[in-house]
Amino acid sequence: MTQTASPHTDDPVYWSAQVTAVASRRDVDAFMRIFAYYGPRLQRYLVGLAVPAPQAEELVQETMLRIWRRAAMFDASRANLSTWMFRIARNLYIDSVRGEPHWLPIQDGLDRLDELPGEDGTTSTEAYADGVGLDRAIDGLPPQQARMIRMSYFEAKSHSEIARELHQPLGSVKSNLRRAFARLQAAMRNRP
Amino acid sequence: MNPHHHPDIVTLMGYSSGGLSVAFAAVVSAHLSVCHLCRDRLRATDTIGGGLLGQQEGLALSEGAAERLLAKLEHTEPDTPTPPPELWRHDPDELPEPLWPYFGSSYKALRWKWIGPGIHHIRSHGADDGHLMLLRVKPGRSLPMHTHGGSELTMILRGAYDDTLGHFAPGDVADLDEDTEHQPVTAPGVPCICVAATDAPLRFSGWMARALQPFVRL
Repeated sequence: MTQTASPHTDDPVYWSAQVTAVASRRDVDAFMRIFAYYGPRLQRYLVGLAVPAPQAEELVQETMLRIWRRAAMFDASRANLSTWMFRIARNLYIDSVRGEPHWLPIQDGLDRLDELPGEDGTTSTEAYADGVGLDRAIDGLPPQQARMIRMSYFEAKSHSEIARELHQPLGSVKSNLRRAFARLQAAMRNRP
Repeated sequence: MNPHHHPDIVTLMGYSSGGLSVAFAAVVSAHLSVCHLCRDRLRATDTIGGGLLGQQEGLALSEGAAERLLAKLEHTEPDTPTPPPELWRHDPDELPEPLWPYFGSSYKALRWKWIGPGIHHIRSHGADDGHLMLLRVKPGRSLPMHTHGGSELTMILRGAYDDTLGHFAPGDVADLDEDTEHQPVTAPGVPCICVAATDAPLRFSGWMARALQPFVRL
């Protein structure tokens, strides 16, 4: 039995290297390090979305198996591992918990589109990093904006639900989220 | 296709976080399939999700989770990378692929229903209690002034229209909230076909609208 210690690192470069190891030599230890670190975080995310714990665990396993199968398609210049995992887990949640049968195939199709050059010959190249800079920017958000961002991403609430729950006009929820995005986007562009 | 009007960033945040209805997500997907700028913007909103995921305190998995995963690895082969797709390089009769599940793939095969002078529509099959529809408006037609009483997300598929917000051509999205009152006028030439997601019935104001309302029930 492989025992892998759970590393405590929020360094995206470290995690990209683990995925590369999985892709290039089916490195089980690297894979289990990813699981040890991200598995419990995915579980927290899914349980937060009101997925019952046993079903959430199945989705965590499913997310990990996709990482295993698709490690070679991971492109560290375009996204960090945590972003990739977030997308996979969210897609599986929408597919299997919400039961929206068209979501997954459409997402796969959209992902593949980025492999093609655009009609003007360009490919999309903007890189976003979710390293220390983004962490700091999230921590630095005004409480109101931080709360709305969390309700949005961790409870998958619609903006009108957030407005109802916080007793605020929809317009003010939207303008708060827009301001939060602007701050976070600036942080994502400055790679640490 | 290089669209000039895009979904509001908060709409993309909703898409990214799983907070949009099926109907709104369908229109956003259709736009993403023709707009690499918005695919970039979406990567930014997904990165926020990734950042939040990484920051979280984990929740312990049940005992034996690691062993179960390891056991599955033995039977799991890597996916074979396939060559870049030819798909979504449209034949002019094809709707954007993300709309196929709701309306089929072919414009020619659409079965339009008349709902008023110069206006036809089709409700999606299956999605969201008819909150997703195609609209076809004949060229040079002014639509009655309406506010939305809710949000509406419209993407132009063919033809064009103009209103106070600008000129909307294929690929463009109008991301409208409840306060917007607008009166689109379709451009001359070909009929304007758009796909629209709404979360509340459209309200038309004015006599034309009153005449239309009994038929429309959009």
